[in-house]
Amino acid sequence: MSGAAAIGVDVGSTTCKVVAIDGTGALLDRRVEPTDPRIERQVERLVGEIRATAGRELPVGATGYGRKRVAGARALTEITCHARGAFARAGRAGTLVDMGGQDTKVIRIGPSGEVLDFAMNDKCAAGTGRFLEVILGRLQVPFEGLAELVAGASRPVPVSSTCTVFAESEVISLVASDEPLDGIVKGLHVALASRVAALARGVPAGDEILMSGGVALNGAMVASLREALSRPVRVLPDPQLTGAVGAALSVLPGPAPR
Amino acid sequence: MTREPYIRRQRDEHGRKSVAVLPVHYPKELLTALDLLAVEVWGPPGAPRSDAAGRIQAYVCSVVRNALAFLASGGADVVDAALFPHTCDSIQQLATLASDFGGWKKPTLTFLHPKDPGRPSARRFLVAELHALAGRLEALAGRRLDPERLTAAIALHDEIDLHRAALLDGRATLPLDDRALYALLRRGEWLWPEEHLAELQAARAKLGTGRPAASIPVLVTGYVPEPSAILEILNGAGAFVAADDYAAVGRRVVRDRRAPATDPWEALADRQLAAPPCPTRVADQGPRMRHLEGLAERSGARGVLVHVVKFCEPELFDVPAIRRTFEARGIPLLYLEGELEAQLSGQAVTRIEAFVEMISGAGGAA
Amino acid sequence: MILRRVQYEAAARAVGPFLAALDDWRQRRRKRPARESPFAPPLESLRALKDMMMVHYLSGRYADGAVPVAWVTSGFPVEMLRTLGYHTVYPENHAAICGVQRIVPALSDAVEAQGYSRDLCSYVRSDLGSLDTGRSPVGRLPRPDLLACCTNICQTVLYWYRDLARRFDVPLVLIDTPFIYGEPAPHQTRYVVDQLEEAIVVSERVAKRPLDREAFSETVRLSREGSDLWGQCLDTARNRPAPWTGVDGFFHLGPVVALRGTEACNAYYRTLLDELKDRVSRGIGGLKGEERHRLLWDNLPVWYATREITTLLGSQGFNFVCTTYTNAWAEASSLIDPANPMESGARSYSQIMLNRDLPNKLRLLERLSREFAVDGAVLHSDRSCKPYSIGQIDLKDRLARDLGIRTLLLEADHNDPRSWASELAANRIGAFMESFS
Repeated sequence: MSGAAAIGVDVGSTTCKVVAIDGTGALLDRRVEPTDPRIERQVERLVGEIRATAGRELPVGATGYGRKRVAGARALTEITCHARGAFARAGRAGTLVDMGGQDTKVIRIGPSGEVLDFAMNDKCAAGTGRFLEVILGRLQVPFEGLAELVAGASRPVPVSSTCTVFAESEVISLVASDEPLDGIVKGLHVALASRVAALARGVPAGDEILMSGGVALNGAMVASLREALSRPVRVLPDPQLTGAVGAALSVLPGPAPR
Repeated sequence: MTREPYIRRQRDEHGRKSVAVLPVHYPKELLTALDLLAVEVWGPPGAPRSDAAGRIQAYVCSVVRNALAFLASGGADVVDAALFPHTCDSIQQLATLASDFGGWKKPTLTFLHPKDPGRPSARRFLVAELHALAGRLEALAGRRLDPERLTAAIALHDEIDLHRAALLDGRATLPLDDRALYALLRRGEWLWPEEHLAELQAARAKLGTGRPAASIPVLVTGYVPEPSAILEILNGAGAFVAADDYAAVGRRVVRDRRAPATDPWEALADRQLAAPPCPTRVADQGPRMRHLEGLAERSGARGVLVHVVKFCEPELFDVPAIRRTFEARGIPLLYLEGELEAQLSGQAVTRIEAFVEMISGAGGAA
Repeated sequence: MILRRVQYEAAARAVGPFLAALDDWRQRRRKRPARESPFAPPLESLRALKDMMMVHYLSGRYADGAVPVAWVTSGFPVEMLRTLGYHTVYPENHAAICGVQRIVPALSDAVEAQGYSRDLCSYVRSDLGSLDTGRSPVGRLPRPDLLACCTNICQTVLYWYRDLARRFDVPLVLIDTPFIYGEPAPHQTRYVVDQLEEAIVVSERVAKRPLDREAFSETVRLSREGSDLWGQCLDTARNRPAPWTGVDGFFHLGPVVALRGTEACNAYYRTLLDELKDRVSRGIGGLKGEERHRLLWDNLPVWYATREITTLLGSQGFNFVCTTYTNAWAEASSLIDPANPMESGARSYSQIMLNRDLPNKLRLLERLSREFAVDGAVLHSDRSCKPYSIGQIDLKDRLARDLGIRTLLLEADHNDPRSWASELAANRIGAFMESFS
């Protein structure tokens, strides 16, 4: 791994991601762990491991909620880093939907990877990955096979409540009234996708949507988003690492690769 | 309450009674002329001071819920009366809830702004309402309102506004961070006006002697700069408030420099009507948008921060127009909602920092 | 213009009733599914009501260009507009229809996308959303020539109408009613009288005709009579059993809101009153079964869930016999004196419950509770109506303490079902009913 040129750290609310990239922005190494409350110690260990492999000091860029607790790093917000990371991965401007555990962000990326505009969910969890996690947990629906379950549902059972607590009770009563489970799960995805679509208002028609964040690994959500936005959705490679890659790119010496 | 010793001193040393005043607009000149100290209650911010907040539903703004909790906890017992301007439906209801159903036992005063004040009926009403309030205040002060003192009070508040406007307009040449500047401007919410004037004059001497540490100018519009951490985060990220349209601050600075009418009541009414357009008085959106555009232009603002209190209907109704206005001018806008929380949430911090990164291009272009 | 007028008149006088009759005929031919309903058969008058409201909305489609059209808030002193020949449209009423039809989330989404907060009144979001999307259960509303707004129900309507004024670029007349703490001060009443005069000038200009003061006085008489008749209809529910359910009033309210000051409105309430009195004399109640408990309702209806709520309660013998909401229109014109319409109108429209302090509201709640002999009260805590809702927590405690009645604070939103959790509400209502046993 002699080509490593920069390290990126993304300390999110649920997972901590550390990556190494080479001078062209290619991903060389990665560490992903659940976020430890003692962030400093965890980051120091993970960065140390990556440095050891690289065999030398590397500049560090940090993002995520814990970004200011990463010693010696250049701290930038997730918005800027996701834009950079997504731009490098997709190779063009566009609109990025990033769905993480506690946040959903919609970022419009300009022709040189800059942020043109962004929107985030309001502070309740209704538009986030946590919403799905809570309710799917309640229904005891496993993550594996979720996409197939939803794809196989004949019709979505409408879930109107957008508040997580209300939706939970609504879903319970739907189950009690013998509505099909796959339809309810599909309904949940439709409800969540419509919240995200509301955030993505004003996105130029016909634009392909880029998607990142842990929730992008849920095929059912990707499909629902495609439907809600009525346009193609392209999941970036290693979607949960986009922010960390962007953070690393921000400290890459010399002109950034296009 | 750090203001409490001050209020007591004003009473003991100057024999001044004091009046707690709810947001936003009120004829402070009347209080000054009657030697009454106005002490404004903007919430107060932070967690409610007592469980009386639970007497108002959670979908009502924290300004009103916190105010009831504050009054009910005895937080304002040091003052002699409370004035509730008719700012919105919620404050209107708070006035009757607190004084009729518990929370506030001392005298309750109200002041109604006529809406659509360009109409002859509205102007007549405003003058009559000013007289009515003056009558209540006279009873409280135990003295008659001397017209000459009213004229002097109008001149004093005019001068205060002159300095406030100078500080806000010359912001880019003032070597203060936003927190210090706002602390100064907002001391006017409770200091005796002449003392406030002296502080403003001292600060004005610093105009043109330096620059704020941050360099990216933004326009802020909203209700009240709370929590003040918002200013620190903004400055820390490299931006500063170059133009202000907070209801608590800029929207109460009268810049109309015409010679006042000879009749003090007419002059007082003129001053009420000359304040910048404010949605709590249901100002027309056209003039308000032109006012905001003017602020943005003169300050060279590169971004607009809309900072409102959740559930605040007057502010919320203007947000679509503000979006349209600045979208048309290509100026980015950040919308931030708060509930007078003691601390900014991590997400709010991220939003502000990302916004500044965006408008400054810092690390933006790959 | 003349053609338009002919169309409007035809719609109002001939085509409308014909279509209404056709619809009625269709309804009767359609087999109704047997549904477990705790309610007595619907009032016969309901058909006349439907016809009347249908004609109103249908003729509205041809009103613009034919007669002057005004969009009016529910508390506006409409008598002047009526006399000047305006076709009046009540956006609040239209929004409520959208609420009943449960199309509000889609309408709201459209305006939320422009930056209107979901925390704004759901009536406003419904109506602006309907304008933006072109979706309406009544086809289309005629374009206004005039907007008429009175702040006696809230300040919100002024923000709403100002938005409408920008969209349509038409004059807005405002009656700004100072909120009354205690008793109204003379300068406050004077202000309202002055504004009525100013409003008449603008309304005359837009209608291109002067206000005939004699005809105005007659409209005022009709309006007052309409309010009185409506009040008498409501009062029949003092009987035990009440001949209808108080929430039937939410729907029978249509004419006194939208057609107040017309003979047609009053004729309708005479018919309704006769039927209600007849039911009383025959001992027919609003519920099929025994009326075990009598309830008061406070605040706006939950338009999309009224049936759900009343069915749940009705099936256990709980009947709403009075509401502060329907009572408001018995109050609205009750103090108007045809001999002195300006001064008395200013007083009457300023003194409605929503424009007065909480002790006044408490007195009203206590009076209704006593006169209608209720043993329980449901206070709808309405996210979308702060002036109606702030104070309810104290009012609820006082009702329980002073009158010993059982109370429930039910959180919802009058028009947006996204703030409604059926299951949670059913639980609360269930617990409330159990508290009576």
